[in-house]
Amino acid sequence: MNFKVTLTYLAGFMLTSLLLISCGEDNSSGTEQFEAPSVEAPEATNGIVDEPVEITFTISVDGGYASSSVTAGNGTATIISEPSAGAKSGSVVVEFTPTAVGTGTVDLVVADGDGQTEDATAVVNINNTVLVSDNITSETTWRDGRTYVLGGRIAVEAGATLTIEAGVVVKGQAGTGSNATALLVARDATINANGTATQPIIFTSVADEITPEDVDAGNFGSPNLDPDVSGLWGGVIVLGNAPISAQNDNGDDVTEVQIEGIPSSDSNGLYGGNDASDSSGSITFISIRHGGSNIGEGNEINGLTLGGVGSGTVVENIEVVANQDDGVEWFGGTVNVTNVLVWNSGDDAIDTDQAWAGTLDNVVIVSAADSPFELDGPEGNYTSSGHTITNATIYVKGNGAEEMIDVDANTDVNISNLLFFGLATDENGNAANIISSDYPDYAANTNGYSIIGIQAVIPSGLTAADYFTGGLDSEVTEVAGISNATVGADASIFGWTWANLSGALSSIGL
Amino acid sequence: MLFLVCSFSINAFAQKGTLRGTIIDDETAETIFGATIYIQSTGTGTTSDFDGKFELQLDPGEYTLRISYISYQTIEIQNVEIKEGEVINLGNIRLNLAITELDGVVVTSQRVTISEAAIMTAKMNSPNLVDGISAEAFSKIGVSDAAEALKKVIGVSVEEGKYVYVRGLGDRYTQTMLNSVEIPSLDPDRNSLQIDIFPTNLINNMVITKTAVAEMPANFTGGVVDIETIDFPQEPIYDFSLSFDYNPDMHFNSNFLTYDGSNTDFLGFDSGTRELPSGADNSDIPTPISGNSSQEVYDFVSKFNPALGPYSSTNFANYSASLTLGNQYKVSSDNKLGYIMSLTYRSLSTHYNNYQLGEYQNQPDPAAYDLIYATRQNGTLSEESVLLGGLSGLAFKTENSKYKLTAMHLQNGESTGGNFFINNSESAPGQSGYTADSYNLEYSQRSITNFLLNGVNYFNNTNWEVNWRSAVTLSSMTDPDIRKTAYTLSLTGADPRFNAGAGGFPSRIWRYMDEVNYANRLDITREYDLFDLPAKLKFGGSYVYKERDFEILSYNLQFFGSQPDFEGDPSEILVDENLYGGGGNIYYQSGNPDPNPNAYNSNVVNYAGYISNEFNPFEKLNVYVGLRAEQYTLRHTGRDALFAQGGSGNNLDNEKVLDGLDLFPSTNLSFDLGDDQNLRLAYSKTIARPSFKELSFAQILDPVSDRIFNGGLFEIGGWDGNLTETFINNYDLRWEKYMGLNEMISASLFYKTFQDPIEIVRIQVQQTSSEFQPRNVGDGQVYGAEFELRKSLGFISESLRHFGISTNVTLVRSEIDMTEQEFRARKNSEKEGQNVNDTRNMAGQAPYILNAGFTYDNLDLGLDTGFYYNIKGETLTAVGGGLFPDVYSQPYHSLNFNMNKNFGEEGKSSLNFSITNILDDSRNEFYQGFNTADEIFSSYNERRSISIGYKYSF
Repeated sequence: MNFKVTLTYLAGFMLTSLLLISCGEDNSSGTEQFEAPSVEAPEATNGIVDEPVEITFTISVDGGYASSSVTAGNGTATIISEPSAGAKSGSVVVEFTPTAVGTGTVDLVVADGDGQTEDATAVVNINNTVLVSDNITSETTWRDGRTYVLGGRIAVEAGATLTIEAGVVVKGQAGTGSNATALLVARDATINANGTATQPIIFTSVADEITPEDVDAGNFGSPNLDPDVSGLWGGVIVLGNAPISAQNDNGDDVTEVQIEGIPSSDSNGLYGGNDASDSSGSITFISIRHGGSNIGEGNEINGLTLGGVGSGTVVENIEVVANQDDGVEWFGGTVNVTNVLVWNSGDDAIDTDQAWAGTLDNVVIVSAADSPFELDGPEGNYTSSGHTITNATIYVKGNGAEEMIDVDANTDVNISNLLFFGLATDENGNAANIISSDYPDYAANTNGYSIIGIQAVIPSGLTAADYFTGGLDSEVTEVAGISNATVGADASIFGWTWANLSGALSSIGL
Repeated sequence: MLFLVCSFSINAFAQKGTLRGTIIDDETAETIFGATIYIQSTGTGTTSDFDGKFELQLDPGEYTLRISYISYQTIEIQNVEIKEGEVINLGNIRLNLAITELDGVVVTSQRVTISEAAIMTAKMNSPNLVDGISAEAFSKIGVSDAAEALKKVIGVSVEEGKYVYVRGLGDRYTQTMLNSVEIPSLDPDRNSLQIDIFPTNLINNMVITKTAVAEMPANFTGGVVDIETIDFPQEPIYDFSLSFDYNPDMHFNSNFLTYDGSNTDFLGFDSGTRELPSGADNSDIPTPISGNSSQEVYDFVSKFNPALGPYSSTNFANYSASLTLGNQYKVSSDNKLGYIMSLTYRSLSTHYNNYQLGEYQNQPDPAAYDLIYATRQNGTLSEESVLLGGLSGLAFKTENSKYKLTAMHLQNGESTGGNFFINNSESAPGQSGYTADSYNLEYSQRSITNFLLNGVNYFNNTNWEVNWRSAVTLSSMTDPDIRKTAYTLSLTGADPRFNAGAGGFPSRIWRYMDEVNYANRLDITREYDLFDLPAKLKFGGSYVYKERDFEILSYNLQFFGSQPDFEGDPSEILVDENLYGGGGNIYYQSGNPDPNPNAYNSNVVNYAGYISNEFNPFEKLNVYVGLRAEQYTLRHTGRDALFAQGGSGNNLDNEKVLDGLDLFPSTNLSFDLGDDQNLRLAYSKTIARPSFKELSFAQILDPVSDRIFNGGLFEIGGWDGNLTETFINNYDLRWEKYMGLNEMISASLFYKTFQDPIEIVRIQVQQTSSEFQPRNVGDGQVYGAEFELRKSLGFISESLRHFGISTNVTLVRSEIDMTEQEFRARKNSEKEGQNVNDTRNMAGQAPYILNAGFTYDNLDLGLDTGFYYNIKGETLTAVGGGLFPDVYSQPYHSLNFNMNKNFGEEGKSSLNFSITNILDDSRNEFYQGFNTADEIFSSYNERRSISIGYKYSF
């Protein structure tokens, strides 16, 4: 029996030991039994070259978080935040900076304390198109090589500066009424949009397939839109603090009004003030195309609107093509503008109001649908020394312009050195273009404003008096052809424009 | 129902005749419960029920009735003739209190329609100030809709033929109710209902309450117009009427402008030809640049109706027809069932051949006084309007209660064609100068569907009355496919074309508004004695929920490239070869972001409770005091354009924009001066709340007026965006004397103070387009006097007893403190010699309203006839300031003639003849400047028209 008892104890001991050992083995091999980490990549996102995007991976680490590593395709990636060591779950945030257009990948590998790893890949669709749908309220740069899409009426608000690098393409989404898109530079905001003759800044419609690469390659024209397609988006509006003559002012408040086309619920549309030397920044070598969509009845957006813009602002080398409303319109202000080309405007080419007191020098106007010049004066009790337009060449035919110069008794302009050609005749062979019937009222002004120095190519059988009605013919010298003219614009300045590159200028002899 | 009608018809055509009547207290006009009606010759009789009503079945013959009630004088009615199978209704039988011992009074039965007199009695005995007009008066003055009828009521004017103004206060201060429950407006821009949608044959009466009492909603100041639809009748009605209205200048006119609508236009709705093309409400519609194929663009553009202009055709005269059936039956000894059914159809054709509209401005030069025009339009406007209305009601009456169920539907469709010459002047600031030929096509469809369940229960010998109402109203306004096409004209005679900066590109718009309104109301009245005199305690409450959906969708026609050569005919535009994908380049561009800032949804929850007591502290003084509490919460869902484009703009998602619990005390005192004279004194506090649209971030471009409306929540210029309600204190004093059936004289004074009144203000900084915003302006006050006289000329000579005059005059002065901004704008534009004040008239407030009638009524001949004259003084309708001159509506001298003649057996046929606008006056609104001639804001002439109507009662 003893043996039996001893055997039983021995067997019990051994069995217990075995159990204990196996238990010990269980404990020591526990890490092998933790689940491997799981990593979840976010859904595909959009990115832009050189613009860092944050990508958040959600992880759970059964065995406790240890480390992560990241690799990237078509860009660079760094981990900017991760869970603390040992954490069972959390998120890893990776900053991905795309380097090239295409599909970017971010591969994150997560390891736990046992060295178990798991990875996941996030996809970033990289392009060079940026959708802008909110107002600009801080210092912002639109960078070369990119296309910026205006998702609505985008205001650069007071205090903010928008810099647009040379070669940038800005495209407005399609729309009319409250759906119309535009870029509006408010009072006390600054725009620096300085293109160059080799890298102009293009403002056009999203329908335009032009790319920054096209601009780099010197192809400034639209690859798919004809230069008479208008009304696809709004336009560019720059507003400032320079004096305007918009209403009477009894002296105790600054005259300010709301710019045409912008509802007054948007106070970014206010312009006018007391600072004649105000600066809204600098705009050079920009081409604005296919805009002018309707905001309300008789309420469209001009290609370039300058409301109360001060003389500290630089505006040079502007092309406006196929705008459904006016090409360039001034509402008061003191800014001087040089080198403007307006082609196929749906309304007037050059429009001035509210006692603009600046100079427009060197202008080419091709085929305006309404007046090449619609010039007006003060609308309030403030009057200025008026504005000056000089050195302009106007090709009249093409879109039906009838009044070549529209002035009235209130107009405060001095005009000199104009060259008109391409004058039209109707089916009976009579002159189809005239000067505003209010010209004699303008000519009778006592402020010394005058229109002088016109040269014109007059169709055979007709005289200068047939076209330059109301007595303006006395200022007109007939020339046989534009090569004989001694006045007009220096068209060679506009070599960079779509109008020139398309051959439209050379086809009319410019 | 059919079964019931059939089975009861048997009773109705039994051998006997039916005699009905209502017993009322002569002094208070209250019905008498339990009066004894006794037929001496037969020894039979009955007692009146809680409504004072009684009914007897009698064999044909002539009877004498004796009517008695304790403490009242017994009266005897002789010569009451009962005919086989017919119902004789004696109407209201008045009992006088037996103050002195007198023998019974004997009256002779005569057939009198009593409703107009009942309004007068109600007016006399109402504890508060009421005026009204009854169905009886409608036919007398020859009117076909409620708007026309209301013009005859003291202190009431009707704007644009449809909006009711009481005491010249704008429609913001007038509330419309249908059967004592609120009813929504059918115009997104107005607070009150277009009243012309109600044909008079559906209306029993309209009562205008001018001083507040606790049981009425607090949101009125001028008055509440309560339209009561026809009730089931005391006697069987089988009426048919037909009328024609001929206007020699408008009708059978070959220049009438029309366009092809749908085949249900004659029923007042569009069957689909003007419907929004499928897919057009997507934010991305097919365009040449949307990525769709040219075939898809072509297919989409082809879905738009190609008609962009009207054509001339000869129109017809106005005509209308209506049919009304009604009767009541005894179900058992104490229960009665009644029904009413009415159908009405009206077709109106209006043609103005010289309709003028203008936009004028002040000149900047302080020494230049003349107003200069920015835009003038003149041309032809033709409208065809159809109104179809139906009402059916069922009423059930038991010994102690009555129940009423009414269903009503009104359907109105108005098709408009216009052709205007537009002249824009470049001399005006901000204008470019052009001429254009404009074509307009519009359709406006309005409908209201209303269900009302009303019960009145009496307890404890009518000492307790419980009156409850529950109503559902569905209303809808749709303007499908408003088309505007304006060719900009050439200066030199070349072909016209579209110019965005001048006449604009062709556009089309769809506008929708739907509203649902649930109104529930409970009123409990307890009659008791206080100071040994009768008194009434009233308490109750109401719950109103209303919700509105509003949306505008707009589309602009565009050319993808140069325009084709046009001749100026609107039908040459949307032809296949001009469409993109069809060989041309026309497409439509959407003006509708997603979400749409031109859309909103708002709802209101309004709980109200009140308690009031009407009592006589001593016999000659009636006091009615009450207190009402209203909890009003308005929530809004909408956004501005910046939010809609994806920016950080304003967005409200069912957020509270108005939330207030307010108390509204009211006191009405009435002194009985004896000799049927009353002196009344009233005070009340009321409220005017901003509308759904006003409390919003909406930016709505109105296609019709081209004006942009900005919601009141926007901060613009000096306005802080905090639009609040207006509180008004109302004081009234009135003396009145009642002289006999339909004769009275009264004189009233009233005074109202307005705290933060809301006006639609023109935004001064916007000079190129017309922008408006509702704002609280400076405090205002209104004071005025009213005078009314209705008198038969019988007092001059007995031979003149059939002639009568009725006249009422309202004189009002109003003053409002200008806001700082408005005053500065006006001061800046001050002319030499002008001295601008910082106060002005309240917008919409007429300085005087005059109604006068000269009538000849002869019951024996069945003839009533009269001349009616109506005028309203020059009224500020659009507040200007700065560049923009004020607009005033001009007095319109309306003189109409009307004649009614009953003839045939027992006057079952009646003929109506009327002439309207005898003076051939124009309706004008003018701009007014300083020291210069007025200029036209709008002007048109409705011309003279002659109408003939025939009515037959079976």
